Amino acid sequence: MGITRDTLHKRRLTGGKKAVWRKKRKYNLGRQPANTKLGPKAVRPVRVRGGNYKFRALRLDTGNFSWGSESTSRKTRIVAVVYNASNNELVRTNTLVKGCIVQIDATPFRQWYSQHYGIEIGKKRKDETQQEEQQPTTAKAASNQTVSAVSRPVEKALLDQFSTGKLLARVSSRPGQCGRCDGYILEGKELEFYQRQMQRRKKSGKQ
Amino acid sequence: MADTQTERAFQKQDAISLKQIAGVSKKNARWYKSIGLGIKTPKEAIEGDYVDKKCPFTGNVSIRGRILRGTVVSTKMKRTVIVRRDYLHWVSKYKRFEKRHRNIPAHCSPCFRVREGDLVTIGECRPLSKTVRFNVLRIDRAAPAAEAGKKIYSSI
Repeated sequence: MGITRDTLHKRRLTGGKKAVWRKKRKYNLGRQPANTKLGPKAVRPVRVRGGNYKFRALRLDTGNFSWGSESTSRKTRIVAVVYNASNNELVRTNTLVKGCIVQIDATPFRQWYSQHYGIEIGKKRKDETQQEEQQPTTAKAASNQTVSAVSRPVEKALLDQFSTGKLLARVSSRPGQCGRCDGYILEGKELEFYQRQMQRRKKSGKQ
Repeated sequence: MADTQTERAFQKQDAISLKQIAGVSKKNARWYKSIGLGIKTPKEAIEGDYVDKKCPFTGNVSIRGRILRGTVVSTKMKRTVIVRRDYLHWVSKYKRFEKRHRNIPAHCSPCFRVREGDLVTIGECRPLSKTVRFNVLRIDRAAPAAEAGKKIYSSI
């Protein structure tokens, strides 16, 4: 393969070259990057040091994303890669990496919310801007509603996303190592930050 | 809070959840720790806004191994300083000492305001970059307010 992760090929702090005094060792080896793309699931197991396995995801289309403030997670479809702090190329090629911002399908979360609280979020109402109080379908939903949903409504930025059907989430697993693309839905300050970054990119792209 | 987000990715402390919970004030949620060894965590680390994963007080590094002292030689890098340690080496043939020195790059947390010439205590941690294996723990003696451009080296 030839990819090593040793330090013998690097220069010293003073700038001097280090003389090569031994061959490359297997424990220093590196492998080709996974560059996980969006598509029907394709995961390859790789046998690594110690007999353990790493799961190199080559193509993924779903992931387990969690909604922090509501403490639930759902398996959802990943729609597109929308922002990457380190490399715009990875956004263009829809490459899934840890820390990139993706758009995910909102329906499982909307379904959970209506089951849990009995409220339909994201549905457009003609004259109301806030969530409408609906008759909860089950007794559990009724008790949940009185306790939480009223005192802790879903924030406006998230509501807007629910109405379009796509949520912004950040990938927090490493697809090339574990073979999964899991993450968390962006909320609050983080959501605001990334929305601003994407706006800036769009603006500079148009110029 | 806006001036802490200078990078292209959102800077936050991993240990703190930013989600809003009714009834709990999340204004100043900040994670910090005491690093032991008799070092007091600076007030700036507890009250500050900065996010630094390599800070010994608010980040994910532990201080273990050697604790050294030296004077700061250069502060031109982002969040790291070069610390110079002077020592005497005995030459047995001539029964005399000779002066030698070593420069150590050390990570400097934003909770410290370090200037060239400060006497500083640094502690060993895991490798933080190609050359940095130390972290500034405490400023022992700040350099006197010198004229612009004058550097002060003091041997220990």
